[in-house]
Amino acid sequence: MLNLVRKDILLQKNTLLIMLPLLIIYLLSGSSVTWVSIVFCVVVIMNAFAFDEKSSINLLLNSLPYTRKEIVSSKYISACVFTLLVLFTIFIGNLVIHKEILQREQILITISIVGIFISLAFPFSYFFKSQYLLIGFGVSFVIYMVIVNTFIVDLNDRIRDLIQIMLSFSNTQMYLLIIFSVMLLYIISWLFSIRIYSKKVF
Amino acid sequence: MENVIELKDVNKVFKGFQLKDLNISVKKGFITGFIGGNGVGKSTTIKLILNLLQPDSGSISIFGLDYKKHEKEIKQRIGFVFDENIFYENITLNEMKKLVKPAYKKWDDELFNHYVEKFELPLNKKIKHLSKGMMMKASLTIALSHHAELIIMDEPTSGLDPIYRRELLDILHDLMQNGERTIFFSTHITTDLDRIADYIAFIHNGEHIFTKEYYKIEEEYAIVKGGTNLLDRDTEREFIAIRKSNHGFEALTANKKRIEDIFGEAIIMEKPTLEDIMLYTKKGREENVESRS
Amino acid sequence: MQIIISNNSKEPIYEQIYSQIKKQILTNELQAGQSLPSMRQLAKDLDISVITTKRAYEELEKNGFIYSVVGKGSFISEQNNEMIRERKLKVIEEQLIAAIQNSKEIGIELAELKELLTMLYKEDV
Repeated sequence: MLNLVRKDILLQKNTLLIMLPLLIIYLLSGSSVTWVSIVFCVVVIMNAFAFDEKSSINLLLNSLPYTRKEIVSSKYISACVFTLLVLFTIFIGNLVIHKEILQREQILITISIVGIFISLAFPFSYFFKSQYLLIGFGVSFVIYMVIVNTFIVDLNDRIRDLIQIMLSFSNTQMYLLIIFSVMLLYIISWLFSIRIYSKKVF
Repeated sequence: MENVIELKDVNKVFKGFQLKDLNISVKKGFITGFIGGNGVGKSTTIKLILNLLQPDSGSISIFGLDYKKHEKEIKQRIGFVFDENIFYENITLNEMKKLVKPAYKKWDDELFNHYVEKFELPLNKKIKHLSKGMMMKASLTIALSHHAELIIMDEPTSGLDPIYRRELLDILHDLMQNGERTIFFSTHITTDLDRIADYIAFIHNGEHIFTKEYYKIEEEYAIVKGGTNLLDRDTEREFIAIRKSNHGFEALTANKKRIEDIFGEAIIMEKPTLEDIMLYTKKGREENVESRS
Repeated sequence: MQIIISNNSKEPIYEQIYSQIKKQILTNELQAGQSLPSMRQLAKDLDISVITTKRAYEELEKNGFIYSVVGKGSFISEQNNEMIRERKLKVIEEQLIAAIQNSKEIGIELAELKELLTMLYKEDV
């Protein structure tokens, strides 16, 4: 299975060689570090996903001695590897350029948002296709708005309450809670994707 | 003799198409040609054999093993060639090899290089720039470099010129020298099979018609030609299908001896080609459907 | 060992192989104990399927012309009486054909030849 992760990295070799230096340039220009790292992670991870989406590639991977479980799992592991790779580059770049150590809040936010995004995007893409992702997010946003406006009118108040509760925790408690929730979501999404992919016909 | 592939009562239903109670076995150490028209279920059957699809009911065993428990073990011992390109297009063959190699325990770089040299394959050209013939050879090279015991090919000769096809058949002869290897390949170019296939498995409309030694087909089947005056309700029943014209009839029988007994010298008998058998079987089945409805 | 195969012949390919090897055994071109190429090698050389050569070898073995040793291959059998007889018959046939040809050349009729043969046959024994 780690061979599949290795394959994802090898296939992205050229992309990474172009993108990682590009990251440094962004850092030099002084853009928001968190924002840049999130975008880079998502682009690299979804690019790796799109590589394997063609039905001919599915034929190849499934005819090789891999199980469907492994094929899906490798994607979730590669996503972690790519995120770490981007964070590492930013960490080093930040250290060299700005002479400062990346704050753990920034790392935490990046990991959480990328984690949540992947947790939603992967099962969706296995079910439909990654090219419909944008439409999918658009549609769910509209549905979300409709539901919020018609059923949960006091949403803003609720969110405010929730933030109040979270702020009342100590920092460490809050970080742990966030990390734990994201991990849980990631694992559920992982299992869900395996289920979807095992029934796929190509 | 040992069966390498065994399909038992396999059913698979799709929208508008189904495989019905498929029972196919493939003998170890031989080449089995898998024939049938377009869209009769050849590719679906091959996908079932490779576990790319799972049957609705029935069992599939490869090397006597079940995919549910031994998926990776089975796939380690199979080499596959598809008629479409299933490699990443924007990388070179050399890079492709690096991606596939770690998947197989028995990968053999020396063997890979041997075939690359033999087929004069460009290692550093992007895969999308390879010609159809080169692509087939590249697939075959990847399929052969891990000492696979079973080689499964879906239409490997389609779209190839006659010289490439001939080359492929020569390679297959070489592969069969050690009696441990089994080849199962589908084709609709039946002349490919004349010189190489030991067994012929024939399916039509999702149904397995027969799997036979090639020479048995020649012994049992015959194209029969004669005057239409020989035909009546009873004699017509002896044929799989009949083509009548103003000048006589031509028909296919699966029981040469019996036809000889019935008609004697009044008819001419010829060796049927596989194409004849496919054609007449299709015609016969269609007429059956018509006469029943 | 020479084997020539015709794809257009009515005779099945395995029979062509069978009869050609048999002929070579009976005429002593292939001798007892001599090894035959493996089925798979022969199939490759003749560009035909393995099962065809397998069938030919099986028929040869069944009729006692060859025997096979597992892991070593197939060999020409020690000829048994019947085979010797068959071989002799073949020789006789050839000699008789020569006699007939000679007879025809100088206009000796069949009856006259038969008479000669009968006389010689009885006299000699």
